[in-house]
Amino acid sequence: MFGNASFRKGARDSVLILFAVGAFGVAYGVLAVDAGLSPALTLFSSVIIVSGAAQFAMVGLAVAGPLPVLLAATGLGLRHLPMSARLADIIESQPLLTRLRLAFILVDETFGLTIRAHDAGVEDVVAYKTAADLMLYSGWIIGTAAGAWFVSSIDPEAAGIGVLFGLLFLGLAAPMVKVRRDWVVAAAAVVATLIATATLPVAWQITTAAVASALVGMVIDE
Amino acid sequence: MSDLALVFGVAVITFGTRVAFLLRPRAAPEGRIGRFLDVFPLALFIAIATSGLVAPWGSPELIANLAGALGGVIGGVLFRRSLWGVLGLGAACFYLARALTG
Repeated sequence: MFGNASFRKGARDSVLILFAVGAFGVAYGVLAVDAGLSPALTLFSSVIIVSGAAQFAMVGLAVAGPLPVLLAATGLGLRHLPMSARLADIIESQPLLTRLRLAFILVDETFGLTIRAHDAGVEDVVAYKTAADLMLYSGWIIGTAAGAWFVSSIDPEAAGIGVLFGLLFLGLAAPMVKVRRDWVVAAAAVVATLIATATLPVAWQITTAAVASALVGMVIDE
Repeated sequence: MSDLALVFGVAVITFGTRVAFLLRPRAAPEGRIGRFLDVFPLALFIAIATSGLVAPWGSPELIANLAGALGGVIGGVLFRRSLWGVLGLGAACFYLARALTG
């Protein structure tokens, strides 16, 4: 698999991801250490979770306690369900270990590349995604290690990393806004978060606002 | 709950959602449940972004934060909802506003 044309194309197509994800890995490493995780645990979290959104949420919500972190991880994980169903559809029958491996790094970036490659007629989708996953995983791990051990002298508050964290989630949300219903959900989430911030304990603010605005989206048509 | 247990918890939840349909292929949820699953990540991302950028009303950098949020939205529109467009213009507006407001 490692020498075939699909694998090489997957590696080539994801070079930019290697560097982009590496940069986010550095930011995660800095934030996680600043939030109180040891550098070793910070690196370990990137090795076994491999989800920028879940990991940034984990360190961002750490002050609210474990329950909001786990609820947020569950909520963020919900987006994997349709991705998982779609990937299962295009890889067809594969050995269990292959399916587990592909699931381990089922992230937005390489999923998007893989779907695009499949639609463009790439011959071996599994090899293509494996290459893209390896590139992303390398960038994420190396970036996290660099942030946790070598960049921790940066003061996140002075550097404005907290604002970059907010912008990161805004940027992750941006491609999801496609139809009228998405705009309504986004607006509802802003309003619900402002209300929740003024009325609820920290532990429940984001989860309550997200559930309430998703319920709004559930009952309206596109 | 220790930090290590929390990391394991997040890892298990994340992998569980990723492997759901790859372990035993079946149809994705449809109807209202499907719509809820569709929009929940967007709702959560916006809630987290709002909490970080706009909600801390007492923050001494609220004006800079709001400028960053506005820049991010404009960046998203100008650069066709690109993550880097949002981050780039949002960060530029934030740092510029912070420099101007001292």
